[in-house]
Amino acid sequence: MSAWLSVFWAILAKDLRVELRSKQTLAMMTLFGFVLTAILAYGLVSDPATNRVVYPGALWIALLFTGALGIGRTFAQEAAFDAFSALVLSPAPREAILLAKILGNLLLILMVMALVAPLIAVMLHLNFTGEEAGLVALHLLLSALGFVVVGTPLAVMATSARFAEVLLPLVVFPLVSPVLISGVKGVGVALGTTTGDDPWSWIQLTLAFDVVYGAGGLLLFSKMVSE
Amino acid sequence: MKNKLYLAGLALLSVALFLAHWLVFVYVPTEPIMGVVQRIFYFHVPAAWLCYLGFIITFIGSVGYIWNRSPRADALALAGADIGLVFGWIVMLTGPLWARATWGVWWKWEPRLTSMALLVLIFAAYWVLRRYGGGTEGVRRFGAVLAIFGAPNIAFVHVAVKKWRGDHPGGVVGGGLDPDMRLAFFICLAVLQVLFIYLFIERYRVIRDEEAIGALRRRLSRLKGR
Repeated sequence: MSAWLSVFWAILAKDLRVELRSKQTLAMMTLFGFVLTAILAYGLVSDPATNRVVYPGALWIALLFTGALGIGRTFAQEAAFDAFSALVLSPAPREAILLAKILGNLLLILMVMALVAPLIAVMLHLNFTGEEAGLVALHLLLSALGFVVVGTPLAVMATSARFAEVLLPLVVFPLVSPVLISGVKGVGVALGTTTGDDPWSWIQLTLAFDVVYGAGGLLLFSKMVSE
Repeated sequence: MKNKLYLAGLALLSVALFLAHWLVFVYVPTEPIMGVVQRIFYFHVPAAWLCYLGFIITFIGSVGYIWNRSPRADALALAGADIGLVFGWIVMLTGPLWARATWGVWWKWEPRLTSMALLVLIFAAYWVLRRYGGGTEGVRRFGAVLAIFGAPNIAFVHVAVKKWRGDHPGGVVGGGLDPDMRLAFFICLAVLQVLFIYLFIERYRVIRDEEAIGALRRRLSRLKGR
């Protein structure tokens, strides 16, 4: 168990250290998020009531697109000198590698969305109560988790394909559409723009998705990557 | 002899397909409420079933491929997706035509429609991956994982959209159906099922042949390089 944890921690710490020093992925994702915010705001800004209605959709578009940029670079460090093969050939438990990469991606996306989500709200002149903001944040967190548990293992697989940068979003977006639906609808209910019982039932659905795909990915991962 | 039998079977299938069209366009009575557009249903419903069947085969083949890397399982998965996708596009084209005439809109956000659209999208992505991603072992594995990941997704979307509500006609093939309509429906189903089997077997054989040719080519270039 401690070997497992040390592999997990070594990879996560390495990725975070590289990222925080170079800031390459983070800078690209953040700037892309800002550009998206501008486009979404130009396209959608309207009267206050309509802005409230379109906010969840705008937010989840930003999540998917900046997220796609992030997961596409999951193994960017390992691509050089075929370090990924070395990693897989090493006795390191593969599930620990995957989990470290998932967590790394999640942290990146959350850092970017922590900037982009309030920014879109500001551009659309929205005001939230504390409870509303909390529910939006919780939905975003769980949706981002669903996105990375699906996207990260597929990003590993995509490295062997041609046109990987196009194929990855093409493959991941349909697969995460349950998260998209339940995130957008759940936030709509939380903001009072979508009719529905309570936002918690949507949170449960996203959580179920996260658990099923997280467990599925971890169980399948050693079969996914081969020597 | 085998060739002649094969050609005779193919001719029979062509006649049967013609018969199916005759039944749909001439033989069956026009449904009084929905009108002529209801005739779409004789092809729409069997196509939906065959689309599912193709993707079920892909799922089984993909599990098999992940399990033991058998090229046969992979060819099964690829053929299932290819043929399933053909029928999937038929569903996605005929459905809106019926919906426009009956519901007044081309599309509704409804569990069955949405999960079908998603299924077709996932397998269209699978098709693009297999067609353009390169024929390496890694791409095959990627495809297999995609198919396996796609399966529970359909259930999730179904649940998610059901939280909205649904009004897709279901179970219309019960006892309430006009006997002529029922006959035409089951003949269409049978004919399209045979068409599916034919297309599937041909596609499977072509994929296996392509693999064999690829292997021979690689051997040849190795021999030349020596």
